[in-house]
Amino acid sequence: MDSIHDLGGRQGFGPIVTDEPDEPFHAAWEARLLGIVWAMSRPSGWTIDRFRFARESIAPVDYLTRAYYDQWLQTYAALLIDSGVATVAEIASGKAAGNSPDLAPPMTAAAVAAAKRTTIRYDRPIDRAPRFAVGDRVVTRRDGAPGHTRLPLYARGRQGTVEHEHGAHVLPDRNIDGEGYAEPLYTVSFAATELWPDAAGLRDRICLDLWESYLAPA
Amino acid sequence: MAHDDPHRFADIHEELHRHLPSEPALRVKALESLLVEKGMLDPKAVDAWIAVYTEEIGPKRGATLVAKAWLDPAFKQRLLGDGARVIVELGFEGWAGGHFKVVENTPAIHNMVVCTLCSCYPHAVLGVPPNWYKSAAYRARAVREPRAVLAEFGEIMPEQVEIRVWDSTSELRYMVLPERPPGTEGWSEAELAGLVTRNAMIGTQRTLRADRSGRP
Repeated sequence: MDSIHDLGGRQGFGPIVTDEPDEPFHAAWEARLLGIVWAMSRPSGWTIDRFRFARESIAPVDYLTRAYYDQWLQTYAALLIDSGVATVAEIASGKAAGNSPDLAPPMTAAAVAAAKRTTIRYDRPIDRAPRFAVGDRVVTRRDGAPGHTRLPLYARGRQGTVEHEHGAHVLPDRNIDGEGYAEPLYTVSFAATELWPDAAGLRDRICLDLWESYLAPA
Repeated sequence: MAHDDPHRFADIHEELHRHLPSEPALRVKALESLLVEKGMLDPKAVDAWIAVYTEEIGPKRGATLVAKAWLDPAFKQRLLGDGARVIVELGFEGWAGGHFKVVENTPAIHNMVVCTLCSCYPHAVLGVPPNWYKSAAYRARAVREPRAVLAEFGEIMPEQVEIRVWDSTSELRYMVLPERPPGTEGWSEAELAGLVTRNAMIGTQRTLRADRSGRP
């Protein structure tokens, strides 16, 4: 989705605020929201990619101006509505109007000790060899995808070099509804001079993890 | 609805924008009340998660990995080769740790991590990311003008040092292994870990100093 979340290389932003407090949360509601999203019962089909697609669908003005965890709140609210377990009116009022959804009971405090160590892997076995090898020159697709994708605008139609081959990973573009289709994933490096007119004279490199269908031989 | 329909969530956001309370704290309170009433949330589990992310999961874990790598070349090789396995051995596994990758700074190379498309971060070893990491300015600028960004963090990079910016576009999660500062010969693992800053493990700080004032 070609929206404002795809920020890499956009100009006009000011200095970075580097002197913030060390504490992980800067407001009580931020901590509360993070705790809620980890503790809540989840309807089926909530993949990391559906979460990202929902977040990047936030209107650009809200995306750029709302605090990070406030965006999370709005994203989870949208996911609840999309899954049919809550309405806008319920989320706005904090009061349930309909029946409770038929979901597993919520996580208890005692279950957090095991849940905090849960790791999700996204690599999958596939029955074909990767198309590219380390050292190959590749060119990225020029077009995006109509829905969710992980090929940023700034790296489209550009030439790079395959640095690592990671086996097959779930393709985000087809995982909004949990399809789980996997294809080879590579780390591809791009010369800064290939991406940016202002990088002349520098030998810096930008590395991205890109799926096979984003790439063609250069 | 089609999985790739750009209006699927945008239309819901439009409704939410018009109807939710104006203050984030009030929005969170309403969401929590609703989920509890619907039988989808136990507030005590929320408290437990906050405690975990305040007291346990944070950059001290990453600093431990760095100190061990400085002291033990075999550990360093395993960390660089299969970081996801190493963090399981240390009990650091968790959210966004399944494909954990460590990249090493050298005198010739400086690594820096960003996520231009969202805010991917190795939570299992560094905890909650700082606000600047999630800011539009950092996400926009890190890939285009990393040297200007580093200067704002106080690091003036010589032209001959190659900067490698890692844009976290997949489920791989990157952490930088900074160089061990001179003057730390004979230091213990805990003393070394005390030198390692979160920013050094993201790559917005290159130079660590042998300062025992932070020693544990």
